Order: sequence, then C-alpha cells, then structure tokens
Amino acid sequence: MSTVIQVVDLWKQYDRIDQPNSAALRGANLDIKAGEVIALYGKSGSGKTTLLNILAGLDRPTKGRVSIEGNDLEALGEDGKTVLRRQRLGFVFQFFNLLPTLTAFENVFLSLELAGKPKHDLALKALESVDLKGKESRYPHELSGGEQQRVAIARAVVKEPAIILADEPTGNLDTRTGEQVLTLLTHRCREYGTTLIMATHSPLTCRFSDRILRMVDGIVVEETPCLETQS
Amino acid sequence: MRVVTKALLRHLRRRRSLSLLQLLGIACGVAAAVGMALSAQVSLSSFEKAVEFLKGQATHSLERPAGPLEETVLTQLMVDPAVQAFSPVIDRRVRLNDGETIRLLGLDPFLDQKIRPQLIQSRPTETPLQARDSFAFFLDEKAILIDEQLAAQFRLQPDQLLETSRGKFKIIGAFPNASGEPIILIDIGHAQRLFEIPGKIDRVDLIVSDDADFRSRWESGFRIQSGRQRQATLRDMLQAFRLNLQALSLLALFVGIFLVYNTAMFTVVSRRKDAGILRSLGASRREILRAFFSEILLLGSIGGAMGGLAGFLLSRFLTNLVAGTISNLYFFLRPAPLEWSWSVLLISIVLGCGASILGGLFPLIELIRVDPVQVLRGRTAVRGRKGFAWKAALTGVGVLVISFVLFALAAVHVYFGFAGSFALLIGASLITAFVLVYLNPILKKFLPLLSGLPGKVAAGNIRQNLGRTAVAVAAFMVAISMSIGLSSMIGSFRQSLVWWMGTQLQADLFIGKIDEVEVPESFYDEVRTIPGLNGFDLYRNVQVLYKGKPIYVSSVEAAVLQKYTNFGWLKGGNENWEPVKKGGVIISESFYRRFGIKEGDTVTLEGVSGPASLKVAAIFYDYTSEHGVIMMDRSTYLRIFNDRAINTLGVFVNPQNSRRKELLEEVKRRAVQRGLPVYTRDQLWENILSVFDSTFAVTRSMQVLAIIVAFFGIAGALMTLFIERQREFGIYRALGFSTRQVASMTLMEGLGMGLVSFLMSTGVGTLLAWVLIRVINLRSFNWTIFFHPAWEPYVVAFGTAVLASLGAAIYPIWKVYKTYPQMQIREE
Repeated sequence: MSTVIQVVDLWKQYDRIDQPNSAALRGANLDIKAGEVIALYGKSGSGKTTLLNILAGLDRPTKGRVSIEGNDLEALGEDGKTVLRRQRLGFVFQFFNLLPTLTAFENVFLSLELAGKPKHDLALKALESVDLKGKESRYPHELSGGEQQRVAIARAVVKEPAIILADEPTGNLDTRTGEQVLTLLTHRCREYGTTLIMATHSPLTCRFSDRILRMVDGIVVEETPCLETQS
Repeated sequence: MRVVTKALLRHLRRRRSLSLLQLLGIACGVAAAVGMALSAQVSLSSFEKAVEFLKGQATHSLERPAGPLEETVLTQLMVDPAVQAFSPVIDRRVRLNDGETIRLLGLDPFLDQKIRPQLIQSRPTETPLQARDSFAFFLDEKAILIDEQLAAQFRLQPDQLLETSRGKFKIIGAFPNASGEPIILIDIGHAQRLFEIPGKIDRVDLIVSDDADFRSRWESGFRIQSGRQRQATLRDMLQAFRLNLQALSLLALFVGIFLVYNTAMFTVVSRRKDAGILRSLGASRREILRAFFSEILLLGSIGGAMGGLAGFLLSRFLTNLVAGTISNLYFFLRPAPLEWSWSVLLISIVLGCGASILGGLFPLIELIRVDPVQVLRGRTAVRGRKGFAWKAALTGVGVLVISFVLFALAAVHVYFGFAGSFALLIGASLITAFVLVYLNPILKKFLPLLSGLPGKVAAGNIRQNLGRTAVAVAAFMVAISMSIGLSSMIGSFRQSLVWWMGTQLQADLFIGKIDEVEVPESFYDEVRTIPGLNGFDLYRNVQVLYKGKPIYVSSVEAAVLQKYTNFGWLKGGNENWEPVKKGGVIISESFYRRFGIKEGDTVTLEGVSGPASLKVAAIFYDYTSEHGVIMMDRSTYLRIFNDRAINTLGVFVNPQNSRRKELLEEVKRRAVQRGLPVYTRDQLWENILSVFDSTFAVTRSMQVLAIIVAFFGIAGALMTLFIERQREFGIYRALGFSTRQVASMTLMEGLGMGLVSFLMSTGVGTLLAWVLIRVINLRSFNWTIFFHPAWEPYVVAFGTAVLASLGAAIYPIWKVYKTYPQMQIREE
C-alpha cells in the first residue's frame, strides 16, 4: 500500500496575549497508507483537530512538512488546496455543519457541484446508502442528530474522495447512534478503499480502526491497541 | 443556480425580519436621494420651461440697468438695422384675494406676434367670441386673457371677473400656458395706466440679427441680455440653493448606505459559519464572493425599486416645498407635477445596487477572508474585539484630522466643506466601538439602576458584541448628530435673522412688498404731508449685474436710517452713513465675500448715463440676498438709474409721540384705501420668519428621514443579537432567567445603544453645527450666522434617541415573549 499522507516534524504555534508561544502541535509525525482507517486518539486540547485542519489545508503549520498523495501541501497554494478539498478530501465534523438553508439532498449535491460532477442520481444514491431515502427534502432542523451526521457522511463520501477526515464524528451522538454512524462510515471507506482518519477521544471509535495513534500535547506519541478495556 | 449561491440566498427568506429591515433601510436611503433629486430636477426644468415659453422667439431683451424704460426707445428700435422684431413688455405681479401672486404681462398683441407666436391663437381676434368682444382687449382697460390652468383653478369663464390687488379684471378669453406659471395678459397701454407708469415699459424683447452690431449702439445706459445670458443669470441665482439641496440628498443617501453597511455586517456575521463550512468543503473565495454579491444585488434591486416608488411619491411633496422656497426667495416657480417614467425605477435600482455594494463592500471583504478554522471551532471573531476597537478609533482620528484639513480648504471651494462634513461623520463613526468600550463601565452602573440584573447583562452584551452594536450605534449617532447639527444651525440662523431684523427693519409701518413695485410716489407725496410723522424710508430693491453676476442694489433714505436704525456693521457704527449721504455706498457682507471688495474700494455700476463709480464706505451684515447688496441713498440711486419706483415705504414715528397710534392708524387707513398692503413691524418680522421656517421645511423632512433610517439600524442590531444568541438564551433559561427578565435585557440593550448614540451625538452634532454655520453656510451663501447655542435640539435629540431605541426593541421583545419559553441549549 502506498503512503497517502505523510507528516514530518509538524509544529503549530500560537501567539496569544494570555498564552505566548503556546503550541498545539510540537513536531508531530505521521505516515498513513491508502485505505487505512486510523483513529487519532487523545484528550481535548491534544492537537487532534489542529492536525486535521492542517491536513485539510484549512490551517497552516508553523514548521514542518505535509504531503498528501505525494504533493507538498504548502507548495499547492490556496487554489491548489481548494481543489484538494473539493476533489480528494471529505470532511465530517462533530457538530455536523450542514448548511441550514439547504435540504439533505442539496447539502449532498453541493459536494458534487463543487467537485465538478453535478449528477443528481449520485446524490440520491449517497443518501440511500446512508439509509436516508425518503428524507431528501428535509432541512437539517427537521432531522435528528444521527440523521444529520449521516447526511454529513453522505456529503463526504459522494464524491469518492481519496481521504476522509472526521473530527469527533460521534461526539454529539448517543452511544447507539454513534455505533451506527461509525459502522456506516468505516464500512463505506473500506468498500471504496478510502483512507479514513478519525480524531476522537472516544474509545468506541477505536474498535472500528485499523490503527490507533495516540496524541499527547501536540505529539503523536505511539501506536496503541484499542483502549476500550483500559478506560 | 449554484447550490453555494442558493445556500446564502435562502437566508433572506429564513431571516425575513432582518431581510425586510435591510430592504427598508436601502429603500429609505434611495427614496430620500431620489425624492430630493426629482423635486430639484422638476423645479429647475419647470423654471427652464417657463423661461423658454415666456422668451418665445426673442433672442435678446433690452432694459434699463434698474427701473422701467422710456417707450421712446421703440422709435429708435424700429429703425435699428440689427432688429428684426421687437415687443415692448410690462412684466409685473398682482395678488389674488387668496394671497397668491400671479404674473401680469402687458403686451402689444400686434408687435408681440413675431416674438410669442404661441400666444397668437389666443389673440382677441382669433377667439370664438362675438365681434364686439374681439376689440375689448384694446378698448376695455380691464379686459384680460387668462391662462387655461388659472381659469380651471378658479372655474372662471369668459365675461367673469377676476379680483386682484389692482382691482377687478374682465376675462375675455383663455390661452394655453406651457410655462406652468399663472399669467394674465393685458394690453400694454392699459398696463401703463394700471401701474401709473405713463410712457414707460419694463423691457423690450427683441429678435436681433447681429448681436455685436446691436450692442455697439445700445450697450451704454442699457442692459442687454441674450436668452442664454438671461437663463444663466437665473440659474446663477439658484446655485447656492441647488448645491445645498444636493448636499442634503447626498447626506440622506449616506445615512442609507450606512444602514446598508450596518445590515450587511449582520448578514456577514450570520453567514460566517456557512462561509467556513463552504470553504472546508472546497468552495473558493470567488464562489462565496459571487454568492454574497448576488444577495447584495438582489436586496439592492428590490430595495432600490421600493425606494424609487417611494421617492417618486415623496418628490411630489418635496417639489411643493422646494418650489415654495424658490418662489419665496428668488423668483416665482410653479412646477408641473412629475409624470411617472420607468427611468425613475431603473435609476433607483442602479442607486440601490450601488448603495448596497458600497455598504456591503467591507463586510464582503471580511466574509471572503473568514478563517474557516476559527469559525468551525465556534469562535466568532467579532466578539470582544478590543484590538479592533483601538484600530478603528485610530483610523477614525486620522479621518477626523483629514476632515479638519478639508474644512480649511473650504475657502477654495465649498465642496471641500461638504467633503469635510462627511469625513467628520465617518471619523466619528469609526470611534464608536472605542467609545462603547470606554463607556461600558458607566452603562454597567446605569442600566442596572433601571432594571437590575438584566441591565447588567445587557451592558455586557453591548460590549461583547461590538461587531453588531458599534455599527448600529454609529448609524444612529450619525442621524442624531445630523438632527442636532441641522437644528442648531437653523436655530442659530433664526436668531441671527431676528437680530438682523432688529438692526435694519425698525420702521413702525411698512407699506408695500419688497418683491413687488407697489407704492406709487403719489401715495408718498400724500402721507408725507401728515403732520407728526418723523421719517420715511423709500426703499427700492432691484437686481442688476455686477461683473456679469446678479446682485441687488437697494436704495434707502440714508439720513432716516441713520437716525432710526442700528445696522450691524462689520466695522464702526452709524457714522458709516455719513459718506452714504454724500454719494458713497455700503455693501453687504455677502457682496464683500463674493467679490472681495472692502471699505475704501470702488464699485462700478452701469447706470442710465453709463458707468458710475462709487466708493465703498462700510460693510454691513445682511441676509436679504446671498448674491450681495449694494446700498445707497435714494439721491444717488436716482442720479445713476433715474428710477423713481418704490418697493416699500417705511414710516417712522417717534415712540414718545403721544399721537403715535392715531398717526399710524391714519397712514394705514390711507394705504388700505389705495389697496396697498400694510404691515406693522411685528407683522413684517413674523412674515419673514414664516418664510424662513418654510425654507427649512425640506431640511427638516430630510432630518426625519435620517432618523427613520437609523431607527432601522438599531432595530436590525437588536434583531440580529436576538437571532444569533439563541444558544445563550437557552443558557439563560437553564439558569433561571424569566421571560420578562430576558425581555427587559433586550430593552436595556436597545436603550443602552440609544443612550451612547445620544452622548456621542451631543459632541459630534455640536461640531457639525459649527461646521454648517462657520464653513458651509459661510462658503455657500457668503454670510455669517452667529452661533446661538440652545438646549432644544439636545432635548429633542435625547427624546428621539430614547423613543427610537425603545421602539426598535418592540419587535425583538415580542419575539422573546413568543419563543423564549421554548428555548433550549442546542448546537444546531
């Protein structure tokens, strides 16, 4: 399997008035192969979200190198990163982040439109695959939390990205719904060979992952077995 | 439509109340600008139409520099090789019973055929009347032709009588009148008898084939104006007035744009998260820009269209005000109502879109630069923003410095003064956030006094949401400052006017009206024989050209005014009359500032015998005309212009005279017998102040509009704060705040913003008043208004601020009562 994401000595420092020289990432290193399902496990404030944001090109590191599918992320420039997010990356958030003025179908179709593949049937199929057939015309406020997250998953997977970044995908869901969502997400990724990186502080997520990388204070410390029994 | 665009546009439907506020703000701003522009355009095009109609085919007019012309010149004109046709004219005004003034033209119908052929169809010989009536125009000295509109207005038919200040006239026919001004036509011979000017006419309208040739023979002792020159003269007279009208409409549009900026900021804030999500999904900045731009254009188009319709309706109201002011101050104008044209809608839409783009520009830049990471973390960058307040304040101080530089440059052109005023308002707006931060501790102490804990929370909310509150407060502050500034300026002007009347208008009785040749010399000869009367001022006021520009020449009885008045002199006192009694002149401040003529300088006027040089003795404060006045003794005036007409006769009686009341009654009785208007001093002052008050009706309506527009700003801010803090309200509810407490908190937020707006506007408004008085008025009208600080504008402003901010809170409070009991802490 080829390396799809490589992170070398990644730093992200902030200069806040109350916290000068604070760093969210302190030399993180990562090597992820195509098709892997990775859990990035750590407590709140360990740097998981910062790492995901940098991988998505939404944030810039202070130091270090990130390469996605062999391309240096910083060398892509803003336009290149935008294209990357459109076509090669999918994003799933803790708080779903659906656009409230769009229906479930439109939220999914938006992804296709941005990727340059505006095909209605693909959007409908994606919604069907997450078990939301018949709810295409509902607005986010008309859906439950679990349904909203499934729309978000459909939005992420519909364009068949190479990588999906999920930031606390079950953070806002009850255990049962969370399990359903994780099953759906990981199954879909494995089916299509999509690399999945999930930032989480929930041991539940670990059960669905091929590898669990622990993050502590901005550093990817170790690869660790599932911590469910330990917690 | 791209889904990205759909995502943003649907917010308009979702946030209907905010969208409506935004539309209304744009509409009000556009309505004010369009209304003012249309009314000014209608008035001015009416004036040009009137001038064109009355000019007819004439290429030139010939008159004396002042006063009527001897009809003997006609014999010379008859044989002048450059004259193709000519028509003598008597051009006067008469008053109807309802006080309306109409134009009376005395014409020779045969000579006038070539000059005004459009009137030919109404010649007595052409009317479908009886043969005997056809000659009535020439034979009956009371026979007139009346314009069709006037006939319709008073429901007059041929053979009926029209009552005027000059007696009753018999209508023998009607004529179409495209000028819009009410006119009656009378045979010129009868007009001479009517106005007691035998052998004299007011002017001759001519068709001249060779201008240079004609002027070479007639230039000395006469005033010759081509049609274009005449129009330019009239347009010159309106210049300062037009400029200030334009400034007023721009000011209204400025407040409108401010409001658009206000609501566009709210839009940005509510779209910030969506923009972050879209960026994370791969939408480019350009796509977000395009989507938001579509929203701006949509709102601009709809708001502009609404504003255009409202502006058209407003212009009908404003046109009457503008025309009334022009008629009172300059020359008669009765504009025809504006007909609807689709171009008004088109222009309004363009204006609305322009205002939207201008107002939405900075919020748009902010939106496309949104940091998706911050937004997706739920951190709204606008909150707190202490650094932003400082930066904005520093920029504001910089802009204020620029404004003062512009004020200094106003000496070059008044446009710099207007630009400086706008810069002042913009600079003060930029400081608002800093003021809110600085005044917050005071609000935190004051608001709880009114409503306890909700007041304290409200003070904190105002501080924490500077991105919304600062802009709303700034917009409101601008509107209230305008109100204070304009009211203070108008109040100071009024006081200055009262002072000025006290210096100049001291006669016990005034007979006649300044803008009409009313008082026959025979009446003066009659009353001067009444024993006991101490002095008479024979006042004449005529418009002449000085260096090609219209000014006024006034003739007075210098000895009488020296004794009974106390002119406001720039230097010296009543000893300044001595040189005037010996042939010198005094000039008004406007004349001095306009032409740079000082005491000791010489002015040259074109008289009946050629140029006359006159030494300037002194300069006096005067508000008669912004074009400037040269005042001289009647003896000097008669020598130069040979014009014996009298506009008004001032009668002075010694206050210690025991027969004072009886004497004045006797004069009044005799004047009334002759049909002459009579005013006591108090009545004249009251009339002048009434004209003054109506002059500023337009300004006052703009003030009201600005307050309405800013009201929407506060309402929009409160609505946005309510909409965006749903989660907070859920927390309040979880903590135990009652609905009433949250409603009270919303009310205190509104009141707090209103109070800060008022406090800022006391300073900014006072400064604006000073600018309007010392810079704008001085440069526009060349006269000094003395600053008379008064408390009324501030009390009115305070009341407006409190009421408007409380009123703006009504809808958000209603929403609180409706929705708060169901609110919970939800992420989405």
